[in-house]
Amino acid sequence: MPEAIEIQLKKGALELCVLALLSQHDSYAYEIASQLSESIGMGEGTIYPLMRRLQNDRLVETYLVESPTGPSRKYYRLTEAGKASFGSQKSAWSSFSGAVESILGGAK
Amino acid sequence: MTRQAFMARLREGLYGLPPTMQADIVADYEIHFNEGAAAGRSEAEVAAALGDPGRLARELRAEAGLKRWEVERSASAGASAVFAVLGLGAIDILILLPILMGVASAVFGVGVAVLALFFAGGVVFAAGPFSGLPGGPAAAILAGIGLMTGAASLGAVLSIVTIGLVNALVWYGRLHYRLLKPALEPQMSGGVQ
Repeated sequence: MPEAIEIQLKKGALELCVLALLSQHDSYAYEIASQLSESIGMGEGTIYPLMRRLQNDRLVETYLVESPTGPSRKYYRLTEAGKASFGSQKSAWSSFSGAVESILGGAK
Repeated sequence: MTRQAFMARLREGLYGLPPTMQADIVADYEIHFNEGAAAGRSEAEVAAALGDPGRLARELRAEAGLKRWEVERSASAGASAVFAVLGLGAIDILILLPILMGVASAVFGVGVAVLALFFAGGVVFAAGPFSGLPGGPAAAILAGIGLMTGAASLGAVLSIVTIGLVNALVWYGRLHYRLLKPALEPQMSGGVQ
């Protein structure tokens, strides 16, 4: 069932990807959604429940920035807890994906 | 789907949440449509890319229910968290419902037993000293107090167990289904609606 595997992978990776984007620079939901939906192919609307949960868990916080076009944008930035969580999730991911990669490499 | 239809279905799905939260969520999606329009995408394209508004609303509602349960350990917060998780379709309701009913009625039954024990203790405490039980009035009073405190501590254990059960359900629902369906649906349905 390749489809099920793909969904599970995306599900696990989505939060990590959002934290990774925010660790590079603060961003607003539309930008995050369009970057992620292009590269990992997820529904753009999904970003809002996720951002709300990250906010509830105090991993991100928001601030408003005046936009040249239209109303002000809500930017998200990582909190200290968010940075810490990103660090640990990232290293967990690399060690896991490295292990899977090496096993896959051995199989023909 | 047009922008108007999307927003209408989203609002419908959010009905019953605190008004400020509804306004917040609605504003998020309105801005998303504005940004999409500014980037030259059509309303239908943006709506299709966003996914099913009904499911998004259920997910947002579940998040709100869980949040409320985390800050407020009340019966109604617990019930709304449980229903929010069920509403997500997080757990196959046909499998879960009999188990959940069994657990709920067991909890209820133990609760009734605890109440009965407490009142029985009260009766022994109040009427015992005058009914000539063996051991005299003091023993009857002490036995009554003992029964009541026993019932109170059983009640406390019962609420801890109940809180634990709701937490486990909430945890399972969050772990299991978060983002799963909305991530899938836009591709499966191709945004036809």
